[in-house]
Amino acid sequence: MPKDIIKELKQKPSEFIFLVIMLLLASVLFFYFNYNPHFQRRVIYFTSGAYLFWSLFHHYKRGDLELSIVIEYLLIAIFAVVLMTTTLI
Amino acid sequence: MKRKLSLLFIPQAGNNYKALLTQPSFLGLFIALYLLNQSLVKSFTIFKPGVLGYSSKITVSKIVKLTNLERVKHHLQPLNYNADLSLSATNKAKDMFKENYWAHNSPSGKTPWDFFKEIDYQYSVAGENLAKDFYDNESVIKAWMKSPTHRENILHPKYLEIGIGVVDGTLNGVKTTLVVQHFGRPLDLANLQENQLAPTDSPLIPVSAGQPQVLSQQQSKQLISPLQISKTVGAVLFMVLISVMFIDGYFTIKNKTKRLSGSVTGHISFLAIIFMLLLFSQQGSIF
Repeated sequence: MPKDIIKELKQKPSEFIFLVIMLLLASVLFFYFNYNPHFQRRVIYFTSGAYLFWSLFHHYKRGDLELSIVIEYLLIAIFAVVLMTTTLI
Repeated sequence: MKRKLSLLFIPQAGNNYKALLTQPSFLGLFIALYLLNQSLVKSFTIFKPGVLGYSSKITVSKIVKLTNLERVKHHLQPLNYNADLSLSATNKAKDMFKENYWAHNSPSGKTPWDFFKEIDYQYSVAGENLAKDFYDNESVIKAWMKSPTHRENILHPKYLEIGIGVVDGTLNGVKTTLVVQHFGRPLDLANLQENQLAPTDSPLIPVSAGQPQVLSQQQSKQLISPLQISKTVGAVLFMVLISVMFIDGYFTIKNKTKRLSGSVTGHISFLAIIFMLLLFSQQGSIF
């Protein structure tokens, strides 16, 4: 499995670096807004949306952007949004 | 049975070379499962109010002490504890439980200033901070200090007096502790009271929405936190999904399978970060 990840990272390093930076920025913002569920929810919406856009760009560049892939990313983003927004009080 | 189980976790011809648990139908099932859990928790708070909740060890004296510590740190005069202001703060907290709201203004139109007027506290400047669902004193002060508007109240140079209401009750079916901080500067400074002693280790005053208020003191018992239930169920689902993605990725590379699928690295990175945020999300909110 690590080989799989390394192989994927080597193919498009800049795209994955962008993804990691985006996710780290989201984490910083999330912790910055600790005890403020309203803003934390916004951070989660933004991060999930950004992840969805990243996936569209990533697969478009790879040449395999298909509806089934978009649905897969959409469901993962919805899963994250549902879990986080209903947990934040 | 074994074969059916392997279809869930291992990519093979029978599942179109993608573990069933990572396929859209099962991702939908994960979402549905979590929503079902949340609905059960919500139903429980409606049909059995007061069973789930947030236990707390917040005391009036400690909140006053920590507030003044922050002021001293910022070279400001510590605030005098005023029992009348504590009464207005306690009345505000009781009102929130009674009318079942969480805001500065009540649904019936009561503003924070009405509570000051009720106790006949004449002020030139006054303020209010609210907190709920916190476990300890330090977290409440930390949360207020992180918010610019609440911090401004705590560090307002014109305030001279403080009163705290810490009331235990049931809000939206969930047992919790409301902390209300009232600040003021008396209109007539000749009325400035000498620093009174905040009640030490005062336990919570229990109040329930729509029920007669019981003013006897009572130690808060350990409650089952709805946040903990949600976090646990969420964490289990996250761990299952991330583990299956690892297994799926491992067999895909091992068997050199070519397939049309989302990026395993992307999914794992995204889910791992969200999982971490879920685990470290803090209990408590301020207003």
